[in-house]
Amino acid sequence: MQRGLNPFLTFLFATLIVLFTGGPVILSLIGSVVPDRILLDSSKALFSEGLNFETYRYVFTGQLPDSYLAETANRAMISDAARQVPQSLLNSGIIAFSSMVLNLLIGAPAAYVFARYVFPGKKLTFMFLILSPLVPAVALVTPVYIMLQTLGLVGTQAGIILVHTAKALPFTVLILSVFFRKMPAEIFEAAVLDHCSRFQTFWRIALPLALPSIGATGLFAFMLSYSEYMFSMVLSGDAATRPVSVVMAALARNTDVSWSLLNTAIFIAIVPTLVLVVFVWRFVVEGLLSGAVKG
Amino acid sequence: MWTIKRFPALWLLPALLPVALMTLYPVAYAFWTSLHSVMLLFPGEPFVGLDNYKRVVSSNYFHDALRNSLVFTLLAAPLVVIIGTLIALFLQRRFFGSQVVRSIVLLPWVLPGAISAVLWIWVFHPSFGVLNGVLRDLHLIDSSIPWLTSPRLALVSVVIAHVWTQIPFAVVLLMAALSGINSETLEAAAIDCRSALKRFRYIVFPEIKAMIVVLIVYNALTAFTSYDLVYAMTGGGPGTATTLLSFQIWRESFSMYDFGSGSAVAFIVVAISAVLIVAITRALPSDLFGE
Repeated sequence: MQRGLNPFLTFLFATLIVLFTGGPVILSLIGSVVPDRILLDSSKALFSEGLNFETYRYVFTGQLPDSYLAETANRAMISDAARQVPQSLLNSGIIAFSSMVLNLLIGAPAAYVFARYVFPGKKLTFMFLILSPLVPAVALVTPVYIMLQTLGLVGTQAGIILVHTAKALPFTVLILSVFFRKMPAEIFEAAVLDHCSRFQTFWRIALPLALPSIGATGLFAFMLSYSEYMFSMVLSGDAATRPVSVVMAALARNTDVSWSLLNTAIFIAIVPTLVLVVFVWRFVVEGLLSGAVKG
Repeated sequence: MWTIKRFPALWLLPALLPVALMTLYPVAYAFWTSLHSVMLLFPGEPFVGLDNYKRVVSSNYFHDALRNSLVFTLLAAPLVVIIGTLIALFLQRRFFGSQVVRSIVLLPWVLPGAISAVLWIWVFHPSFGVLNGVLRDLHLIDSSIPWLTSPRLALVSVVIAHVWTQIPFAVVLLMAALSGINSETLEAAAIDCRSALKRFRYIVFPEIKAMIVVLIVYNALTAFTSYDLVYAMTGGGPGTATTLLSFQIWRESFSMYDFGSGSAVAFIVVAISAVLIVAITRALPSDLFGE
C-alpha cells in the first residue's frame, strides 16, 4: 500500500517516540529497585548493589525495608499511603469502567442522531454539549459538592461515577459523531431500502461497523475518569474507597517519602492499567487496520 | 442526512440530562458567586455587581497570568496535535516492533497527573535531573541548565511535560480516524502523486480534518483550564513565570477564601476559552460544527 520508510529512519523515529513517551516511566522503574542512597550519590554506579525489591515487599506485606529498621532511620520516609495503592487501583477500576460503559451506552445513540439526522433543536442541543465543558472544574467543585450532598452521594462511588460520566460525555458524543459521519452513506441507504427502523440501522449496522472506533472512544472515557483528580478527591470517602489518582497525589505531595518507595508505588499503579489499556488498544488497532469501516 | 420531524428525545435525553445536571445549577451557582462578595471570613454575601471582576482584572497577577496562559495554550495545543499526527502516521505502518511502540505510546496516559509532575521534575531537576546528566555525559553542556528555575525555560519545560501527558489521547483518536480512510483512495493517490507531503495535504488531511479540529478544541480547553501539572512542577514560579490564569481560580477561592473573586476569574477564563473555540472553528471550518 504505502512504500516503506527506509529502515534506519524507521528505527530512529521509533527510538525517539519510545524515549519521549516512555523515558520518564523507565526512570521510575529504575528508581523503584535502586535504594535512595545510591540514586542520589553520583559517585556510585546505579546497580552497584544489585536490584532491591524491599519497597515492593513493603507495599504488599507491610514489612519495612531492612534499612529502615535501624534505630537512626527516618521513618517519615515510609508512608502508609503506599500500602493503599492496590486497593485504590481496584476502586479506580470500578469507577472508570462504570463511567466508560455509561458514556458509550448513552453517548453512542446521541452521537448517531447528531451525525446522521437533521431535527428540530439540533443546533441548540449540540451547542449546549460543546459549551458545557467550558467552565473550569475548580469553579464548580463547591456547587457540585453541595448538590451531591443533598442527593446523598458524597463519599460514594456513585457520586464520582456520575461526575466523571457527565465530564466525559460531551467529548464522547463529539468524537463518536465524527466516526459515524465518516461512514459511507450507501450502507445506510441500503438499510432503509431493506426496511430497517432507525434503531435497527443503528444497532445492526452503525454500531458493529464502528466497533473499533467505539473501543478507542471507550479508552478515552476510561482514562479521563481514571486520571481525574479534583472531584475524586473532594467526593471520595475514607481511605478504603479512594481512587488511585487521590492516593498517588497524597504520596507525591509528601516530600518526605523515599524516592524508591514513591517509584515502587508508581510502578505498581501503572502496570495493571497499562496491561488493560494495551489489551483494549490491540483489539482496537487490529479492527482498525483490518479495515472494518472501509467503504 | 435524513430529517426527523420531532426532537428525538429518546436518543438524546439520556446524554443531555446528566450533562445538564452537572452544568446548569453549578454554573449558575458559580456565576451568582462571581457577582457577590463571598468570603469565608466575613459573614453575609452582599451583591457587589462587577466589583469582583474589576478587582481581578486590576490585580497585579492578572497581566502575567493571562499572558502565560495564552502562551501556554498556543504552544501546547498545536504541539499535541502536530506531534500526535506525526506519531499516528508513523505508527500506522507495520514494522519490526511496531506493536511494542504502539503500546509504549500509551504510557503517559496511565500515570495519574500528580505522578507525571514528579517524574518530569526528576527529568528537569537542575542539580540531579536526568536531562542535565545526559547532556553533561555527552559533553554537550558544561554547566547545568536551570530548566525549572529560569523564567523562560520554566515555561518551555512545563509545556513539554503537559504535551507529554496529552500525546496518547491524540494518537489513539488520530489512528482511529486515519484508518477510516478508504484504502482504494490511498492506493490511487500513491500512483497519481509521488510526493508524500502532497498526498497528506490533499488526500489524508481532508479526511481527518474533523478529528483534528475536535482535538485542537479539546486540547486548547485542557491547556487553558488545567493547572495542576504546572503548579506541582513549579508552584507558578520562578516569580510569576509559570503562573496560569486557571491556577488563580484555585488560589483566590481555596487559598485566599475569596470565592467571589475566584468565580470571577473562572468566568473570565470561560469568556476567553469561548473566543478561542470560535476562533479555532472559524480558522478550520469543518462540517462538524455547522448544519
